[in-house]
This record gives sequence, structure tokens and C-alpha cells, in this order.
Amino acid sequence: MAAARFPACLVLQPRARSLRAFSTSVSPATRSPRPSPSTTERTSRYGRPLRRKALPPRTEKMAVDQDWPSVYPVAAPFKPSAVPLPVRMGYPVKRGVPMAKEGNLELLKIPNFLHLTPVAIKKHCEALKDFCTEWPAALDSDEKCRKHFPIEIDTAGYVSAGPSIRNPKARVVTLRVKLSSLNLDDHAKKKLIKLVGDRYCKSTDVLTIKTDRCPLKRQNYDYAMYLLTVLYHESWKTEEWEKKKTEADMEEYVWKDSSSEKNILETLLQIKAAEKDLELSKEELLGTEEVEEYRKSVVSLKNEGDNENTLSQYKESVKRLLNLT
Amino acid sequence: MAAVHSARWLRISRGLCLPLMGRRAGVCGRAPSSRFYSGSAAVPEVEGAGATGTEEVVIPKKKTWDKVAVLQALASTVHRDATAAPYAFQDDPYLIPTSSMESHSFLLAKKSGENAAKFIINSYPKYFQKDIAEPHIPCFMPEYFEPQIEDISEAALQERIKLRKVKASVDMFDQLLQAGTTVSLETTNSLLDLLCYYGNQEPSTNYNFQQREQAEELEEATEGSNEKPKKKAGHQLGVTWRAKNNAERIFALMPEKNAHSYCTMIRGMVKHRAPTQALNLYTELLNNRLRADVHTFNSLIEATAFVANEKSEEKWNNILDLLKQMVAQNVKPNLQTFNTILKCLRRFHAIGKLPALQTLREMKAIGIEPSLATYHYIIQLFYQHENPSKGSSLIIYDIMNELMGKKFSPKDPDDDMFFQSAMRVCSSLRDLELAYQVHDLLNTGDNRKFIGPDHRRYFYYSKFFGLLCLMEQIDVTLKWYKDLIPSVFFPHSQTLIDLLQALDVANRLELIPQIWKDSKEYGHTFRRDLKEEILTLMARDRHPPEVAFADCAADIKSTYESQDARQTAPSWLASSLNHIAVLFLRAGRTQEAWKMLGLFRKHNKIPGNELLNEFMDSAKASGSPAQAIEIVKLAGAFSLPICESLTQRLMADFTLSQEQKEALGDLTALTSDSDSDSSSDSDNDVGESK
Repeated sequence: MAAARFPACLVLQPRARSLRAFSTSVSPATRSPRPSPSTTERTSRYGRPLRRKALPPRTEKMAVDQDWPSVYPVAAPFKPSAVPLPVRMGYPVKRGVPMAKEGNLELLKIPNFLHLTPVAIKKHCEALKDFCTEWPAALDSDEKCRKHFPIEIDTAGYVSAGPSIRNPKARVVTLRVKLSSLNLDDHAKKKLIKLVGDRYCKSTDVLTIKTDRCPLKRQNYDYAMYLLTVLYHESWKTEEWEKKKTEADMEEYVWKDSSSEKNILETLLQIKAAEKDLELSKEELLGTEEVEEYRKSVVSLKNEGDNENTLSQYKESVKRLLNLT
Repeated sequence: MAAVHSARWLRISRGLCLPLMGRRAGVCGRAPSSRFYSGSAAVPEVEGAGATGTEEVVIPKKKTWDKVAVLQALASTVHRDATAAPYAFQDDPYLIPTSSMESHSFLLAKKSGENAAKFIINSYPKYFQKDIAEPHIPCFMPEYFEPQIEDISEAALQERIKLRKVKASVDMFDQLLQAGTTVSLETTNSLLDLLCYYGNQEPSTNYNFQQREQAEELEEATEGSNEKPKKKAGHQLGVTWRAKNNAERIFALMPEKNAHSYCTMIRGMVKHRAPTQALNLYTELLNNRLRADVHTFNSLIEATAFVANEKSEEKWNNILDLLKQMVAQNVKPNLQTFNTILKCLRRFHAIGKLPALQTLREMKAIGIEPSLATYHYIIQLFYQHENPSKGSSLIIYDIMNELMGKKFSPKDPDDDMFFQSAMRVCSSLRDLELAYQVHDLLNTGDNRKFIGPDHRRYFYYSKFFGLLCLMEQIDVTLKWYKDLIPSVFFPHSQTLIDLLQALDVANRLELIPQIWKDSKEYGHTFRRDLKEEILTLMARDRHPPEVAFADCAADIKSTYESQDARQTAPSWLASSLNHIAVLFLRAGRTQEAWKMLGLFRKHNKIPGNELLNEFMDSAKASGSPAQAIEIVKLAGAFSLPICESLTQRLMADFTLSQEQKEALGDLTALTSDSDSDSSSDSDNDVGESK
């Protein structure tokens, strides 16, 4: 044992004779400590304990019917030695193939969902069923839900990896309610719509209140409910100055007392006067069928805008009114 | 199982909700709803002016759970991955440890990195003040180890005691006394506590795990190692209580002493191995008509067992006396009392058996639930010696029947020795059913925690696996093999040899190359006995060439050679050379087999007779007389008695040319004895005369 310490700098072919001959001429000061067998398992053949050799990847030992969610129970980076799939990723060089999975940075960079296979998700759902309560049996359709619970609240929670669990985006609260489920009469509804402005969507009849001015979600929720309550009560009240509502403030066209009514009455009266037919008074004129029809067509034209239907209706009613057909 | 879990985690919230009154759905401020994964939750709500439907909408009561309930529920869906290394290691083929020493050193490296980081943070706290963790995590912030109060006062003394600075607090105490201020009884008591706990030395900054591990390699894990950890109780090894040390001095200086002071001193003395002094102090305590508390009694019981030069019966009587005094002083015993009694009974060997059972009955009568340590002591007591020929008791079966399905929580520092001793008993009794019972107990609930540190785990599993190899069917054994090795423990060569013998018994020798490949991975490349065993089993009978025995043999040969290249001490054995050559021949790899012959000569080992015959056969099969002559030359070189028969066979089976015959003649002339000498001489004469 004494003679055979060859120095670490010598790495040659392991021909025992030459090595032995060389080592005897080397001074004993350069001998390296003899590695014990248990630490040299994975060293190379060349004497000193060189770099460890890697084990074969453990995909070789995996059974085909193993429990995959146990291998990847949580979100973890892609481990090529643990994923038994021959995945390739990367832009191939000319006449080459995409790179293999070992040491592939592209596979590491992207988020992987190996921990959320359908089997795993099914198991998770089974386990989480215990935390859920039964859905009420009476609420079996969307309409019933809307009927019993007209107000809908949207909140979002955020989870991220880091030392802090707070996220300022989590304080936003959105309240949605259909105005048809609120008890509003015509004036109240119009006043409410004027009060909220942009927050009301006419096509779906939904009022949306989004609050984020308070620092906490609970506070924002309280504030949203408070706003809804205040709007409701305020819209039922009628103030003094509301009586001064002019035609420019009207939301929709009202034919009564409008210039169109005046015009048509004047025109008809003039026509009647020209025909020397003064028996009909204003009210009677207004009550006639043609005028009614004219009124309807003008209202629809003004309220709904110009389209084929309304324009042709207007044309018919004018023709009938002026006895042009 | 799901139902059980839910019962544990969920509490149905009381008193909440019902339909359609102005109820607020608790979307805000309740822990559950804020624990959703990112996404929106639409919670329906009823407006105050609420719609009342014709049918009643019954909203169920909301469930509440604690913070980790959801995680625990999800964790119950996954199991252990049998191919993975323990989670503490990096999951990379290069970085997974391959032996128990490596795994230990990796864990130590990781821990030392953490310690280094903590050290830096605590040395320079002003650079680590920024706290972005929300909610606040106190253990990430730097700790202050230096006392802040500088003046000489009782508050300063209390601070130093709190910071565990033994020497500084003793100095402060002395300074206070010199300055004439009286130190209150409480502070003096806490100072005594500090001194007695640490045995008048500074608390060591090394961590426990660096000191304890001497029985790492499983080869040394015998009964002896069961006792070694006991001697290392307490973190200072060999801290003994010196007479007239600081604690005693301060104790003597105290103007008034209450029961607490005496108790602390007694416990400190016992902990640091001064039992006689402890007992003396106890008599002094009684003289002062004070009462001791239950912990002190526990220490005293231990002290009586440690007193030297007394016989076991006397010690037991002393212990009984102490117990009577305990009753007289109205001190209720606790679990530690009984465990200490059992621990002491262990030292009394045979006479301790009956009192141990009595103790156990007493414990149950009082209503104290025994912990795993209790059962461990009982097992140690009843199964102290390994030889079952003495008629071992059946108490292990009673114990296991009682423990089935129970979940334990840590109550005694020696709780983690139970499984090791139980498995040892199972192994010595050769009872596989019992071993399965023990293993089931280990897997109930959280009992895995009680498997103990690494060396105990290895001991447990190697005994378990050894028993499996011995007693269980080979398929089941192989399943356990795949499951346990190497993810749970690293086998040592004896375990693998047991496995190989089990394979032999079950006639499944074709799995040997697989086992060899696996064992190379966890560090058995150079274990000679394992390789010998493998080669012997492979070479013993003829096998069909589909089993890759020759490849395996070539692999083993290369390991021998690489080992050779590193040291001149020859590691070859004659038998291994024999086996390898035979395997090559049987597989038809004659080229390599012939190279083996060269190795025989090189290492000066003698080939076996059957081997030479087989070589002869193969030479005949290949029809090359030169090879046959080689063999005969080799036999002659070693002066083997078989040389004669080989020569005859050579002459009979082969047609030799003239030079060959002459060369053969020379050879036989040189090496054979007188008879063959004369015959060859006569041959030569005949040849010459022609």
C-alpha cells in the first residue's frame, strides 16, 4: 500500500505496471490519502476521486401504472429525470431536431401543469367536496337565482409566491343589479338612471357599481351597498327643482305638448279651415285615429331612430293623415 | 377516510342564516372566502326589500375550517413516490445521495448553510431590518443575543438569564452581592435553574446532530448502539457535576431557600451525574419540611438507580421508598415518573420483569396513558438478550394487540426508540405477521414521526427487509424492495446478500443482474462479499443464455479491474476468477474467457479443476489444439495434480502435430512425477529410436 500512491496530477492509461514503476520514483510527500471504498463508488477509474457520476434518471424505475399525482404533487419546475416523456422543445438547427429534454432551459422557463392532470384534478375535487355545502334545491335555474338573489357581488382574491399575502387589487368590489328587480316607478327609474350615469347599461338593464376607494374589501362592500341604498331612496324623492324639467332633459320623446303635436294640429286646422270645415276641435282632432297613428309613428321614429320600419310607418301615417292615398 | 378528515377540519358555523331575510353573505372578513385561489367568487345576496318566492330557499349553514385544512385535504390525495429521494434533497440525478453517509453530509451541509446565514443576520442586524413579509414573520428577523442593559441591577441579571449567558449572569450576581443589594428569591431561583440546566457551562453552540452520530453505518447497529444514545442524554457529553461549583456556591449563599431551589439543585445534580449528592440534598429538603414536586421525584428515582455499589434489590427497595414518600407528600405521579421507573428497572435485568408489569398496571389504574417509550422499555426489559432459546416471552404480542390503530403524540424523549426495538424483537422471533403489525402501526396517522433519526430508521428497515427476505414470498419481497430501496433506506451488503439468497430459494436468479445494477447505484460497487455472492450464485448452475449473466460478470470484472488500478493490493479471489471464467465460457464468449486465464497467472491464483475441464471442452469444441496445450501448460505451471489427466485427455482427443507433441513432452517431462517421467522418457526413447 505504501508504494502505490501516485500523485493526483498523473492521469494516464491504467496500465498497472507503468503506473507502479512511476510511483516508486515519486516522493512520498505527494501521496494523496487513500479514499475509503465507501466514498469512491462513483469516481472514475483514474485514481483520485474525480467528479461524481450521475445516477441514471429515475424515469427508468417508474412503473407504467404509477400514481402520477404523487410524483408531481405541487407546482414544481420541470425535472427531466422525473418526467418519463420524451419531450422535445426548441428551435432546431438546420437539418436537426428540437433539443431533448435534458438540460433544456426552454422547458424550465415555461409554466408546466404536470401537477394538474385530469386525474389529479378529479382527486382534488373529491377531497374538496367536504368543504362544500349543498346547493339549495329550490334554486335550480338562473331565473330563480336572479329572482331570489337579485344583487350579485364580484370580488377577486390573489395568491402569489412571496413573503407577503397582501395584494392591493383584492379590495375591488363590483355590485351588479337589474333595475327591473328594484321597486321603482317611472320617475324613480329615470332619476336613478340620471344619477348613475355611465354605470347603467341600457341594453341589459344592469346597474354596475364598482368600488375600490376603501383599503379593505369589506369596507368597499359596505360602501357599495350604501350607495345602492342611497340611490334607491333618493330616486323616490322628488325635489322642487325637478319640476323645472325641460324638454332637453327628457330621456325619451313625449309627443304630448311637443312641437310636432303643435305642428300637426296647426296643419290640420289649416287644412280644415281651407276646406271650410270648422266643426272639429283640437281634442277631437287629437282623438282621431290618423292622428293617433301619426303620433305613434313620430314617437317611434324619434325614440328608436331611423330605420326601414319606422320611416315607412311615418310615411303611411302622413299619407293617411293628409288624405293622400 | 374523507369523512373522517372532514370531521376533523370542519366546524359547521352556528346560528347563521336562513332564507331571504336581510342576511349578508359573509363574503368579507371570513377566513374561508378570502382563501380562494385567484378567481372571482360570486356570492348571491338578498336585498333588504327582498323578494319572497313561493318556495322556500333554504341556504345551508356555512362551514368553517382552520387555515391549513384545505392544504391537508389536498395532501391526502397524494402518496409517497417510491422512486424519489427524500424531499430535502435536490431532485437531480447528480445531486441525489447514494449512501447513508452522503445523505447525512448533504443534510449537514444544508443545515450549516442555514446556520451560516443566521449567523450573518444576527451579527449584522442593522442590514436586515427591512420587513416585507405580511403578516410579520418573527423568525426571519435578526435576533439579539447581546444583553442590552449594562448597569448592575437585578433587571440586568434577569436579562442575562433570559439570554442564557451563564458566565455573565454569575458575574452579575456576584457583583450584585458585592454591591450589597439583595437579589430576590425568584431571580436567584431562575439563576439556579440556568446553572443547573447547563451544568455550570455555557450552552454549547454546536447543534445536537453533529455530536450524536457515531453509529451511522448500519454495520455497527447492534444492541450496543441501542445503549449508546442513552449515554448521550443531554447535549453536553460528559458534563459532570463538580463539587463546589457555582451552583452550589450560590445555593449556599442564599439566605432563604424554598422548595424550588432545592428541587432545581437536585434535578441539576441528577442530570449531571451526581446522584449521591442529589440524595443528600433530598434528605436536607425533608429536614427542612419542604415538599418536592413531581419532576424532582422523577430525578430522584433516576438517582437511586444510578448509585453505584448497590445491589438491584436494594435499589428497587429504595425506589419503592421514594414512591411511598411521594404518596405521603401528596404528589401525583405523571407519565415521566412511570417511564423513569421502567428505565431504571431495565438496568436490574431479570428481577425487573415483575415490577415492570406491576408498574404498567398501576399506570393504567391511575389513568395515565402510556406512551411509546413505556412500551419500549418493557420490550427492552423482556427481550434483553437476543437468543430466543431462553424461551422469550409473548409480551410483544400483547403489546401489539393493545397498540393497534392508535395514534401517538410525542410525550417522552425516548418515544422514538420504540419502533426500532419492536422490529428487533420481530426479527429475532422471526415473526413476519408481527412485523407487518408493527409496520402498520408506523403508518397510522402521524406515527411516522416516531421512526427517529436516520440510523434508527436504517436499522428498522434493514431488520424489516431482512425478515421479509427470509419469510415472505419472493413477489411480495420484490415489491417491498422496489418500494423501500433506495428511497427509504440504503441497504448494506448484508441486506442485499439476504435478498440474493431469497431469490435463490425462490429460483428467480434471473433477477441478479438487475440487483447488481441497482446496488452499483447506491454504493456497493466495491463490496467484495456482495460481488462474491453474486458470482457464486450465477456460476453455480447452468442457465439459459437469455439471462445476461455474462454481461453482469463482465461488469463485475471491470469493477475489480478499476479497483485494481487504484491500489496494488489484489482484490481478486480465486473463486471469483473461476466463476467469471465459467460464466464467459457458458455464454460462449471464449475470447474473454481466454483472457481470464492470463489473469490467473498474473494474480497468482489457482484455477479450479472443473474450470480446466470446461476449458478443455471448449477447446475441443473449437477444435484448436493450441488452446488445449495452453491449458495443459497452465496446469503444469501451477503443478496441479489434474495436469496428468488433462494431458491424457489431450492426447486422446486431439490430433497433435510433431512439434506440439514434443513441446508437450517437454512440458510433461518437467512437471510430472517420476512415473510419468519414465513414461515420457520411454516415449521420447521410442520417438528417438524411430
